[in-house]
Amino acid sequence: MAGAASTDPLPVQLAGLARVELRDPLFISDLHLNAAAPATLARFIRFCSEEAAAHAELAILGDLFEYWIGDDTLDDEADTVSRQVAAALRALSDRGVRVFVMHGDRDLLLGAGFLRATGAQLLADPAVASIGGRELLLAHGDAWCTQDVEYMRFRANVRQEATQRQFLAGPRAARLAFMGAARAQSEAGKRAKAMQIMDVTPSEIDHALRASGKRLLIHGHTHRPAVHRFALDGEPAERRVLPDWDFDAQPSRGGAIGVKNGELANLPLAG
Amino acid sequence: MIRLHTSFGPITITLDAEKAPKTAANFIEYVKKGHYDGTIFHRVIDGFMIQGGGFAPGMKQKPTGAPVENEAGNGLRNDKYTVAMARTSDPHSASAQFFINVADNAFLNHTAPTAQGWGYCVFGKVTEGMDVVDRIRAVATGRSGMHSDVPREDVLIERAEVIG
Repeated sequence: MAGAASTDPLPVQLAGLARVELRDPLFISDLHLNAAAPATLARFIRFCSEEAAAHAELAILGDLFEYWIGDDTLDDEADTVSRQVAAALRALSDRGVRVFVMHGDRDLLLGAGFLRATGAQLLADPAVASIGGRELLLAHGDAWCTQDVEYMRFRANVRQEATQRQFLAGPRAARLAFMGAARAQSEAGKRAKAMQIMDVTPSEIDHALRASGKRLLIHGHTHRPAVHRFALDGEPAERRVLPDWDFDAQPSRGGAIGVKNGELANLPLAG
Repeated sequence: MIRLHTSFGPITITLDAEKAPKTAANFIEYVKKGHYDGTIFHRVIDGFMIQGGGFAPGMKQKPTGAPVENEAGNGLRNDKYTVAMARTSDPHSASAQFFINVADNAFLNHTAPTAQGWGYCVFGKVTEGMDVVDRIRAVATGRSGMHSDVPREDVLIERAEVIG
């Protein structure tokens, strides 16, 4: 294998930024980009050259890809999706837009090779963002789906360095085969229950906001876009859930969250 | 008016034949032919819309007739409980599939006569059975083959009829 990505020692456990200063960001998540969703990929590439290009920062809060089996994906001639995505993000970085990427549950193996190829910086999960002096919490969101015990067990395992090391050390063909088998199994509905994304547990959200001292939160993962306003310890709190993207179905859906007149605002994207 | 007898209860749709004449006539045609009888709501996304009219249980796609002109420029908005035609990325490709908005989806409205801006043609609204729509939008969904957001248990349109 050639290229920059494959020269990284495995595993690549990276410490993401736990705090970022943002000026005029767009937040997105849950694009689940893959070869079977060409229209969603095309919309993302257009998003990078149009909507995102008009902002100071783009923060991707997890699951940019449907799956990611290692940064050597970028060296795989057959994988055109990853290289188109990397090129679009690289073009965005090159024009001065700061790009931040958080791991989702589907692409938590995005590593130093991907970051170098795109010019993106890794965000920790959770991370704190400061926008014009206003502070908010950013997360993918899967860590709070604690009612799904089976998933939490799975999550704890795949987040272990040893598990990741073992997986990444295997030949790419074996990793691809593993992913193919896992996907075929879920397609067949055998893991129907596990594939059903549960919603977050409200008390976990309260806990995370209290622990961070924040009252504002953006996350993805659940595919349940919404603005939840509630009171926490007598203070107004807000939780915004990012929409997932699907431009291969019609009507399409997808969107971002930005800042308008100092307030968070949803930006739905037309197909 | 059209009544959809679903496995969750009846939904009455009042058509706007004045603002969407071709689309309303197209929909009535499919109802009269019995096309919708035994179809399912195959794409259910709470906070967005519920879509049906194209598949029999088991995600078996039904054949459809010629596409109808997109009348989305009629000023009707994709507001909650309105009914609009689904289509492919070609604006003028709607045939039988329709969807019921379960939120105000302004980004689906017509903004320009271009591929990006054409929008989705609203041709009616739910006037009875909003509670039925609300129960359908809340069902559990998952993947089925190439399709996302498919209800785990069939949400069936047992029969559709023209009333009133």
